[in-house]
Amino acid sequence: MKHLTQRGFALATVLACITVPAAAQDKDRRGFVWNDRPTIVFGEDVSLELKARGLVEWRRFDPEIGEDTFNLRTLRVGLAGEVTRHFEWEVEREIEHSVGDDADDDAEKKWRFGAWKDVAAEWKTFDSFRVKGGRFKMPFGLEQTTGVSDLDFAYRALGSSAIAPGRDRGVMVHGEIGRVGYQAGVFNDDGDNAESNEPQFVEQGEDLDDVGPSVAVRVTGDLLRLLPVGRLKSATLGVAYTTSSVPEGLNGLRGESLWGYDFFERVYVKGRRQRLGAQFDWSPGPTSLKAEWMQSREERNGQGNRDQDLSDYIGEAWYVAGTWFVTGEDKDSNINPKRPLLKGGIGAIELAARYDQLGLRSASTTGTPFTNPRSEYLLPNTDRVVTLGVNWITSPWTRVIINAIHEDFEDVNRTPESGTAAFWSGLIRLNIVF
Amino acid sequence: MRRLLCLGVVLTLGLAATAAAQTTDEFFNPDTLQRIDLWLNSSDWSKLRQNFQENTYYPADFTWNGQTVRNVGIRSRGLGSRSSTKPGLRVDFDRYSSGQQFLGLKSFVLDNLTQDNTGIKETVAMRFFARFGIPAPRETHTRWYVNGTYAGLYGLVETVDKTMMGRVFGSIGDDVQNDGYLFEYNYVLGSAWRFAYEGSDLAPYKARFDIKTNESHGDTRIWGPIEELIRLVNTTASASFDATIGTRLDLPAFVKYIAGQNFIAQNDGFNGYDGMNNFYFYRLENSTTHVFIAWDEDNAFLQSDFGITTRNEENLLTQKTLSLSQYGALYFLSLSDAAASAADWMRAEMQRQIAMTEEAMLADTLKPYSNGEYQTAREALLSFPEARITYVRCEVAKQTGATRPSGCQ
Repeated sequence: MKHLTQRGFALATVLACITVPAAAQDKDRRGFVWNDRPTIVFGEDVSLELKARGLVEWRRFDPEIGEDTFNLRTLRVGLAGEVTRHFEWEVEREIEHSVGDDADDDAEKKWRFGAWKDVAAEWKTFDSFRVKGGRFKMPFGLEQTTGVSDLDFAYRALGSSAIAPGRDRGVMVHGEIGRVGYQAGVFNDDGDNAESNEPQFVEQGEDLDDVGPSVAVRVTGDLLRLLPVGRLKSATLGVAYTTSSVPEGLNGLRGESLWGYDFFERVYVKGRRQRLGAQFDWSPGPTSLKAEWMQSREERNGQGNRDQDLSDYIGEAWYVAGTWFVTGEDKDSNINPKRPLLKGGIGAIELAARYDQLGLRSASTTGTPFTNPRSEYLLPNTDRVVTLGVNWITSPWTRVIINAIHEDFEDVNRTPESGTAAFWSGLIRLNIVF
Repeated sequence: MRRLLCLGVVLTLGLAATAAAQTTDEFFNPDTLQRIDLWLNSSDWSKLRQNFQENTYYPADFTWNGQTVRNVGIRSRGLGSRSSTKPGLRVDFDRYSSGQQFLGLKSFVLDNLTQDNTGIKETVAMRFFARFGIPAPRETHTRWYVNGTYAGLYGLVETVDKTMMGRVFGSIGDDVQNDGYLFEYNYVLGSAWRFAYEGSDLAPYKARFDIKTNESHGDTRIWGPIEELIRLVNTTASASFDATIGTRLDLPAFVKYIAGQNFIAQNDGFNGYDGMNNFYFYRLENSTTHVFIAWDEDNAFLQSDFGITTRNEENLLTQKTLSLSQYGALYFLSLSDAAASAADWMRAEMQRQIAMTEEAMLADTLKPYSNGEYQTAREALLSFPEARITYVRCEVAKQTGATRPSGCQ
């Protein structure tokens, strides 16, 4: 099956490359058109788009940590459309490949629909005031709110997956007023990345899924334009904040390494969970510089060994990342190679580097630290990651990402291989997105 | 060499009792009814009792004799003795901080005594073993309080671990003899096993012998010598049995161990009713020799007329060892020695322990037997030593052809 999947993606890659010359579009056409992706245009401002994305990768680890070499990272299909100039909508769902022991021998039956991703509708009549409802990403984290196929690296920085909340059901107002963008929403829980581990001691009939509701706010703007900072004026700055209540249980945000190892296991929390984040985004010409800092703070009311309150549980993460198109393309959301592969060129080639880290600890640092999930002073642990990459963009729909990743853990006893602090891994990722 | 090793163990046991750190001696002082307090989050206490069949650890603060150790790990333990109302516990000082110890101990066990309605069978048995020269954990009794509330009378049991191996086997020069391979025998339900060879694959031996030290070593290094021992026990002829097996198992110590278990009428021990059960097995440091360590004797003192050769023919190791004349003779000699050792001691020890624990036992409302049942059981137990000593002496005389002592039927 693995070979079948790999062959399928190789074929898709070729097809996606071949479609490049045929992708010249007539925006006024009706019926079926290729408008960056297959689209049915019913009339002015009424359309239906088919979306799909597939991400596969081949990986290598040193030392070995028991992960598969081949990984089908993401396979999604979706529909999106506009209904007049006032509304747009989107539906996207994961397709999973069952590889468990109970998988059916019939290959076709191994594929099934998985989790819903974005399922949302938006009223967009005014740029300054839009309303979005459904399931979508909460407005926190520059990288977390960037689609997986638009990332500069194969994997998001640790904080973007551990601290930033991700998707949830909710309602959000957003827009741009002058040069300032805003997003503010109310959400049912606290994001997929913060799912509860255990609803503990729930009374019969009580709702098990009772994290939240949460509130998230983000403000962004190119505030540096007010300062004499030359080309930096085009940089965007932003701050974000979320707040929610977390039920009693082993529900603290967890420290998960890049490959899924819990280098900081969940701790008992109860009370308010808050996040604070700051972001910086600057893309002059063929280069980009991005940075984020974020912190989570969770209360641990009554969670001590003697039912006493404990100091807050804190997660803190930051990263700084830079990219450079050595082939000269501008860094924007639609990268079109100046010399496409199938026109005899080499495509667009981008170099990328990122340092990121995620650390978890308690506010208290008095006495002896313990790994005990009810300790006043939690033994801290930090995962520090350096990622070096080359992105090869062969068409607007296909991208090859090559990353070398070095992970280094603060606590040598809490790593994927106890006693070993640092790990190298490498991967080649193929993205096909339309 | 073998006898020297055996003698060495016995001497070390004796010396260790006086040389061990006073603090751990105080903790396991058999003459003191201790008080241990554990403080744990009320939700964890509920959860531990609710999920008492699981080995999930919960954090707690531990207090003994005015000393507090924060953030120890506790979990439910036991096989048939597991209980939701009165859980047996394992307490690990180093669960959440790798270097944390208490009095040099990494852990200890709180035995809930639910299968012993006298509350003292286990502690009397272990004290008897120590006295008799069989490696055994130190034990006493404690009143256990959880979050300030009395939670019952418990046995306070030394964990069989590297620390205990150091205490039992002492040092050679500066080298503490605790770097050997320690195994806890894992009773596999529904698979009574009596030392039969199960093939060259190590898997069956891994399932039965749970490694407790040197866990990171390779399987062949850990379990290879066990597979070899069992294979050789099964295949070696009598003529070469002593020479072949004696370098891999301390046979005199083994004979003494099974004789001691028989004397106290342990029906669920090495020659147990459902195969082997309740022991640790230790391969000495830098050696091929293994020894047995006593564990979990709360089913002892079954009946005073428990046959002195009960199931000796069923277990292959027992049968082949005792078929050699020198070990057959040693077995009966050991039984006689056990009777002699118990003669002026065992009943008095039982009375002393009953006096020490009675008030705490009567106040224990979580035990799975009534105070009336307790009082009946303890009276029955007190009658055991005298009757057992007489029975064993008479039966040994009968088996060996010696003159039968007075009182034999």
